[in-house]
Amino acid sequence: MTFFAPFTIPFIIGTIFLFAAVATKFVLWLVRLPRVDKRLIRHNLFTWHTLAAVWEVVRESLLHVRIFKVNPVLGFMHASLAFGWFLLIVVGWIETVAYLGAQWVPLQGHVFFKYFMPINGITHHEPLFEQLMDALLLVVLTGVALAWMKRLRSRFMGMRRTTKHILFDRVALSALWFIFPARLIAESLTAALYGGEGFLTGSLGHALAETVPHDLLVMFYEPSWWVYSSLLGIFFVAMPFSRYMHILAEIPLIFLRHWKLHPTAERKSYDRFEVEACSRCGICIDPCQLQSELGINDVQSVYFLRDRRYNMLNLKVANNCLMCGRCEAKCPVGINLNTLRLNSRAKRRNIPYEGRYKYLRGLDRSSGEGRVGYFAGCMTSLTPATQHSMEQIFKAVGEDVWFADRDGGVCCGRPLMLTGETDAARKMVAYNTDLFRRHNITTLVTSCPICLRVFREHYRLDGIEVLHHSEYIDRLITEGRLSVAADARRYTYHDPCELGRGCGIYDAPRRVIAAVGEVVEPKHSRRDALCCGSSLANTVIDDSQQLRLGERMTAELEATGCDTIVTSCPLCMKAINRAARCSVEDISEVVAKNILRS
Amino acid sequence: MRNINFGYGISRPRAIDIDNNDLRKSNAIIAEMPELQACIGCGSCTASCTAGNLTEFNFRRLHTAVRRGEYKGAYEDINKCMLCGKCRLVCPRGINTRALIMLIKRKLGDF
Amino acid sequence: MAKRVVIVGGGPAGMQTALELKARGIEPIIVERDVELGGKVRDWHKLFPSFTPASDVLDPIIRGVKSAKIRCFLGQEVRAIAPDGVTLRSEERIHADAVVVATGFTLFDAHRKQEYGYGLYSNVITSVDLERMMNNGRVTLADGSEPRRIAILHCVGSRDEKVCQRHCSKVCCITGVKQAIELKQMFPTADVFNFYMDIRMFGAGYEELYREAQQRYNVHFVRGRISEAAQTINDRIQIKAEDTLTGRPLRMTVDMLVLLVGMNGNRDNESLAASASLNIAPNGFFEPKDSFRGAVCSQREGIFFAGAATAPKSLADTLAEASMTASTVAEYLNHKYNTR
Repeated sequence: MTFFAPFTIPFIIGTIFLFAAVATKFVLWLVRLPRVDKRLIRHNLFTWHTLAAVWEVVRESLLHVRIFKVNPVLGFMHASLAFGWFLLIVVGWIETVAYLGAQWVPLQGHVFFKYFMPINGITHHEPLFEQLMDALLLVVLTGVALAWMKRLRSRFMGMRRTTKHILFDRVALSALWFIFPARLIAESLTAALYGGEGFLTGSLGHALAETVPHDLLVMFYEPSWWVYSSLLGIFFVAMPFSRYMHILAEIPLIFLRHWKLHPTAERKSYDRFEVEACSRCGICIDPCQLQSELGINDVQSVYFLRDRRYNMLNLKVANNCLMCGRCEAKCPVGINLNTLRLNSRAKRRNIPYEGRYKYLRGLDRSSGEGRVGYFAGCMTSLTPATQHSMEQIFKAVGEDVWFADRDGGVCCGRPLMLTGETDAARKMVAYNTDLFRRHNITTLVTSCPICLRVFREHYRLDGIEVLHHSEYIDRLITEGRLSVAADARRYTYHDPCELGRGCGIYDAPRRVIAAVGEVVEPKHSRRDALCCGSSLANTVIDDSQQLRLGERMTAELEATGCDTIVTSCPLCMKAINRAARCSVEDISEVVAKNILRS
Repeated sequence: MRNINFGYGISRPRAIDIDNNDLRKSNAIIAEMPELQACIGCGSCTASCTAGNLTEFNFRRLHTAVRRGEYKGAYEDINKCMLCGKCRLVCPRGINTRALIMLIKRKLGDF
Repeated sequence: MAKRVVIVGGGPAGMQTALELKARGIEPIIVERDVELGGKVRDWHKLFPSFTPASDVLDPIIRGVKSAKIRCFLGQEVRAIAPDGVTLRSEERIHADAVVVATGFTLFDAHRKQEYGYGLYSNVITSVDLERMMNNGRVTLADGSEPRRIAILHCVGSRDEKVCQRHCSKVCCITGVKQAIELKQMFPTADVFNFYMDIRMFGAGYEELYREAQQRYNVHFVRGRISEAAQTINDRIQIKAEDTLTGRPLRMTVDMLVLLVGMNGNRDNESLAASASLNIAPNGFFEPKDSFRGAVCSQREGIFFAGAATAPKSLADTLAEASMTASTVAEYLNHKYNTR
């Protein structure tokens, strides 16, 4: 049996190149992983985590369930291409076995089986397989058609914008678009000359045989297979350097994730799996308020990852992000977009300057005494009503409170982390950790979600429970320590990014508000809530742009027709207060006003 | 004799000498963030400053000196800043103070 | 038949325009949102720079309007304006041959500068609250005692991007100086500190008054804007500022903090302007046709402005402008009906 023809050379070269390139990448990235990560892999390799990963690979790499959930049409496009192609390969394999029995056939023999059938004198047809393969080809072609449509009109796919691509992507993309039409033509011509029974290639072949002169069909026969093979070759060569690398990178990423690896403040080779697993689907573009409200079009996560991957990231792109997490919440691949952006910033900005913050030594401006510590946060001193209300609440429940920063404290460190100065931030972390420990508190309440997040994620505060003031108040009410009066006022709650998407706190503030009045939800809320625009993470947009974001977001909150807008972050508070016409209150104010004195 | 100034004393000159100060860095900073020139010197940034509450750090004085080409000690001083962002929240001219601090650090520092 | 002019707003600008139109044989009609004529000056105690009681200026004007039997729609709000009349919120239409917009300004709501704790701390008051107290004859702290140390903060709700009021309200500086002197007259042993960004003394006699405050009354002027205020346990106010002239942070505790609130454009300026295709300037006030010869004219023929509707103005400027508006309107009507 022969399974070689000159036209298969482009395909063979492409395939060998692809395997070599991808294998090199994966091996290098794995070898360069930090020791902790390697230990994690060894530890989790033979556990049920691996099985869970296999299941996720099926769901996400083949079926694209998450994209389906965000955007069904886009999901269908991805699934028909990925799963359709996968089945074409698998069923194609079985087909060869069905024809030839269990014997070794080289790769090109499987891929171009239709071509090799007549050469090897196989004249009979297995209608079941032919129909099945044609059906699968049709599915893939539908996906291709949708991809074309998406390029032409992204709105058709329910997306306002689609991604702009670089050269490698364009090459790979063009090849991909024509691979399956080329296959259709090649197989149809084969059917025209040698017969075939598939409903697609078979019927097309019969039609060609009847309408096109025989010598013309013969003339185009070989070239059509050359085209198909060359397109495959081109695609495979471009693939490791284009966005289509995501097809392969996502698979090890899913395993690594199930083995508990994750990106950190420092860049490491693990990040490469995440960066290259981005398919540049562009789902992250629409939720970005910088895009929708300010028309900034080149900083979204998809572009950030692209720029980082090809080493063309500039500081302005890295810094121009609110880190509101709206895109991260929607990313179908689940890439840790914020962490990656942060460690990109850190790479460029983190300067170990040992002399910094010497003035923190021996400093303690705290006051009061108690097992509960209250850390208002820097910004909260600009919203004194919050501080005042918290003091009233502490007093009402008779809590003994140690005030960490009533007379000026030290920053929590997160603002420095957000700008990439991780080493400098560590000094704040160390200072505050020591301060909290020294005063023997068991609970730490903070009014600033930014502080809350860093306390939870970067401080080692074993033995000290860290609560946001909304959680603390919620607990006081549920435990019956604090009773509040309810009235008929309608409140709209704004979820601060750092509290909601950042720390997953959505219900506690709503329960608290429900205890004093009615909660009315704005159009975007909870995981989908809008950012107020004042985020410390963005150092690029100016005041007028911040204001515009705040105004649009506030307009949406006011559209609920509420009496009062409630939030629980001093930054959001300031932003809403700038634009709002109705009253704006911190959650603590709402509660303090309604305390029932017993 | 001791009071005669020969022009090469170690002590800092008393006057800001715009004629002889090297304004290149200062011009580069202003060119990148023209909004710095919008400062009206109200001192809100310094008054609210978390680091200024604990040290001698004075952002208004620092960036004014930098604008005049007086860079000595500015880099060491600006590193006292904790970037907490209160100053941006209180600035009546809406100046992006955090970006400005990072810019000054970049232009005067070693990275 | 007498030509008729509807004047929107029954403050000093509107009333003065009405009086002067009436004197020219034109029939003015005043529509005032409030149930009483007089506008915000009613709350004022004394006027800068001469310390003339506000009532000495306002009362004769109100009496004049009443004795001239000028028709006033009180407690009525105008929803839309046009060169041939106005529509009230009650959908009633008042026809006229010209319309004067004398809607004045809105005082900045000091609650919006949360960091100063207005409404939260009992001894943080606004300049308007202080005038009211003086009108009532007694300035005290919340507990009824006398203040011994007072801080007056300039530019609250003026020149501040953070509350979207970029303009200078023009009259607060001199008001701050005036009130500092009044406080010193009331409490000679008290210390008064004025915190300012710039002192703008543009009017006749203002600079002299400033100097008097400094030299004769020993008012302390600190160049620095207060960034935040906190209440101490005994209800005093601790303030933070930078003393920018020494370049050092300044911290002090006062018994009373007076916020000099600025003048903002009215919230309904936009809808009124839209109803007649008038322009609103970026500062939120109505935009006159030009700032020289057309300062009281709008972009629409037949619609005119008087007073602080177009920009923050002192009472003296407002009254002077009202006269100009009246003569411009009279000339317009003359021209319109005699050439037909």
